[in-house]
Amino acid sequence: MNITEPMFLAMTALVDEPRHGYGIVQEVDRLSEGHVQLKIGTLYGVLDRLSAAGLVELDREEAQNGRLRRYYRLTDDGAEALRDEAARMAATAQAATARLRARMAGGAA
Amino acid sequence: MSLLEQRYRSVLRLLPASYRAEREEEMVDAFMELSGEVPDEANPRPRWGEIASVLSLSMRVRLGGAGASPRFVAWGEAVRLVALLGLGHQAVGSVIELLNWGHALAFGTHVAWTGPPGSLERLVSIAVSAAALCSAVAFVAIMRGHVRTAKITALIGVAPPLAYTVIPMLLVERPLSELATLVLTVAPVIALLMGFHSDVTPRRRSWTVTLSPAAVGLAVLGGTWLVVAVRPYDQDWPYLWLGFGTTILVWAAGAVVVLARRSSPSWALAMTATGLLLLAVRLPLLDNLPEGASWTMVCAQCAVLWVLSTALAWVGARGLPRASVAAAAETGPILREG
Repeated sequence: MNITEPMFLAMTALVDEPRHGYGIVQEVDRLSEGHVQLKIGTLYGVLDRLSAAGLVELDREEAQNGRLRRYYRLTDDGAEALRDEAARMAATAQAATARLRARMAGGAA
Repeated sequence: MSLLEQRYRSVLRLLPASYRAEREEEMVDAFMELSGEVPDEANPRPRWGEIASVLSLSMRVRLGGAGASPRFVAWGEAVRLVALLGLGHQAVGSVIELLNWGHALAFGTHVAWTGPPGSLERLVSIAVSAAALCSAVAFVAIMRGHVRTAKITALIGVAPPLAYTVIPMLLVERPLSELATLVLTVAPVIALLMGFHSDVTPRRRSWTVTLSPAAVGLAVLGGTWLVVAVRPYDQDWPYLWLGFGTTILVWAAGAVVVLARRSSPSWALAMTATGLLLLAVRLPLLDNLPEGASWTMVCAQCAVLWVLSTALAWVGARGLPRASVAAAAETGPILREG
């Protein structure tokens, strides 16, 4: 499964505790330092995909102001997928950093 | 209920009823929290970005994305089949064009390009023919599971006919048949762009199936040469079974197979859509032909397209999974308490 940036951030937002829709939007905003602001339609598309893949599941439902509020949590499979993706991204970032260092060293020489 | 909530609920009507039954309340809750308290006097409206995200979600759900009900999964499959059938048809055309070029090069015959040699018009004509070959590349790419390549090459392939047809249409009145031909060319590309969305894991089909348009192209060209060779000089109607006529023949054979084998509703619906597209292209020809054997032949072709398309639509509609909200709630979004 191809994990996009919004999916990656939504999964990361659920690592420490279950969150509801707006809670995920807020956390993603914080994690990305304001670079990714999930629209509600996008968020639920992401949750549909993650749920269908078994990476996220429903934790509980609550009623708030007469409206339904659902909390989602990361599954064990989700945590593993996130770990793999984070490792892949870290390796890519490391390779980029190493090449940039080499380029700067070459320029200085 | 505040004005903003009312308006957001109106936007959510873009989503299928089955999806709304499952998601509407929590989406409204998330949206209202995100928007904060806004008095009605401020005449608040959901932002365009929010509306676009709901529209995009709606399209994906309706075309069988994650969380879609079985009915929409079937519709999504039908749209993807329209893309494959349409691009396959265009790929056959590309193969025939390539074979004609090969024949012209080998035997030093004339290729039907416009403009005198060395002119800009000739260059454009060659570029347009070359772009048409992109449809074949798009077909191979999508059959082998390369969605991105398929989308890019299909767009390149469709751009010249789009420009060639639409620009004159805007300037002068053009016959209806040109519009129908344009729709036949563009519809599979739109189906490709919409149907193969990010929730779809494309299937990698065998090389045998992938290269089948090449075999069909050879067979069609061989058949064409044969008809031209044996054609009695006083009869025009055999020509009506060449080119587009052959497409109708192949489609009709496919339609009979789909009906006889009681294939999936997606196949029946995709064949209905392609059949109606072919009918839209063929029908205007009746206006241009004098009454006689040729006119009767085109009438027969249209009748075959109409009858088989209607039968396929009936079979497809009957075979679709139930549309009720209850059915969707049973089998729809895979969100169950863990």
